[in-house]
Amino acid sequence: MLAAAAPAIAADPAAIANGAYLAGAAGCDTCHTDSEHGGQAYAGGRRLQTAYGVLTTPNLTPDPATGIGSWSAADFRRALRWGIAPDDSHYLPTFPFPFYNRLSEHDLADIKAFLESLPAVARPELKGAGSTALLERARAAIAVAATPLPGPWQPDPLHDAIWNRGAYLVAAIGRCGDCHTPRTQIGAADPQRFLAGTSAGPDGKPVPNITPDREHGLGNWSADDIFGVLTDGHTPDFDFVGGAMAEIVKNTSRLTETDRRAIAAYLQSLPPVSRPATK
Amino acid sequence: MKTFAKLLVLGALCGLASANWAGALAADKTQVIKDRQSLMKEQGGDLGAIKAYLDDKGDLAKATAAATNLTETMKKLPDVFPPGTEGPNPEGKFAPKADVWSDWKGFLASRDTAAAKADTLLAAVKGGDKAKIQEAFADMGKNGCGGCHGKFREEIKK
Repeated sequence: MLAAAAPAIAADPAAIANGAYLAGAAGCDTCHTDSEHGGQAYAGGRRLQTAYGVLTTPNLTPDPATGIGSWSAADFRRALRWGIAPDDSHYLPTFPFPFYNRLSEHDLADIKAFLESLPAVARPELKGAGSTALLERARAAIAVAATPLPGPWQPDPLHDAIWNRGAYLVAAIGRCGDCHTPRTQIGAADPQRFLAGTSAGPDGKPVPNITPDREHGLGNWSADDIFGVLTDGHTPDFDFVGGAMAEIVKNTSRLTETDRRAIAAYLQSLPPVSRPATK
Repeated sequence: MKTFAKLLVLGALCGLASANWAGALAADKTQVIKDRQSLMKEQGGDLGAIKAYLDDKGDLAKATAAATNLTETMKKLPDVFPPGTEGPNPEGKFAPKADVWSDWKGFLASRDTAAAKADTLLAAVKGGDKAKIQEAFADMGKNGCGGCHGKFREEIKK
């Protein structure tokens, strides 16, 4: 007979609030909610078309049987930092754990506190109609093995607090590089071309160069312009971003104004990379 | 023999006509795509005028005219997506996804959503409350324009 264990320490409202804020900005609910079929937020069930077949997102609510209710803090940390599930299986990088690897211990714990505060939803595990996709899985394993996973992002003392906040958000929450950084031959992110765009992003579609290069990137954009696109998706000529970015804007728009401006300041400070997105 | 000759002439004329017809269709398609692009640019301009008012760079009268025009151009959207007009925009950067036509109902639903948000935006602009206008503008951008672009538009490889 499973009895609900009384929590030893009462959940800290500030931790839950910070966790909710970060989870919203990272868009955890975007993938982990089956919005198409009216699923509960964070209860998983969304079917993602990936190179590995159809993957169904897991339930993040605290249901002990079908969610992550039985996960310890260590389980959660291992999953987010290293992409390893409690049963020692490895997550495919469709779950962008290489980015969550950069979360601070504090933020990681707060996100767990937030998820624990959600109502438990018992959702039967729906197996994805995944293909074996052995070659793609092997490629992913090699790419992940070649990806540095340095752990919590360390502030740079040579830059101010705003820059550091922007850098942290891009590295750990916005996971901008997941789409905007081209890959090397081995499939890992190319550090020489950080955020320089690619002609074949995760959707197979071009992804723009968001370094401050004047010809191929955002060099002609002001900080307000970058702030604008993160706020409601509008570009300087009042186009509105589409494709996969439209979903991301729903998440970045949840950030505070200060945080959106910090990201803009950070992006404007990056080395301009002139590689056009088409190569 | 006379019938055969008539048939030959008829056939030749049909051939000519269909060549012209195909040419005319191609010209139509180019025109439709141009019209589509200018409609989108017009909508962008109208949203720009509303944002200018929000940023204290433009006046309310222009913003109101723009918001009104936006609700009008929303009605024209299905007209610039007739079947057979897939293909990149004149700048060569974006193209409508095939889903526009294979999921025409969904496309119209996205248009309806955007049109409703344009109506809300107009009401907000007429009300003059900047906070409400900002909220309606963001909703329009993210879930109106962005909602449709997210589902039905793609960047193209050059």
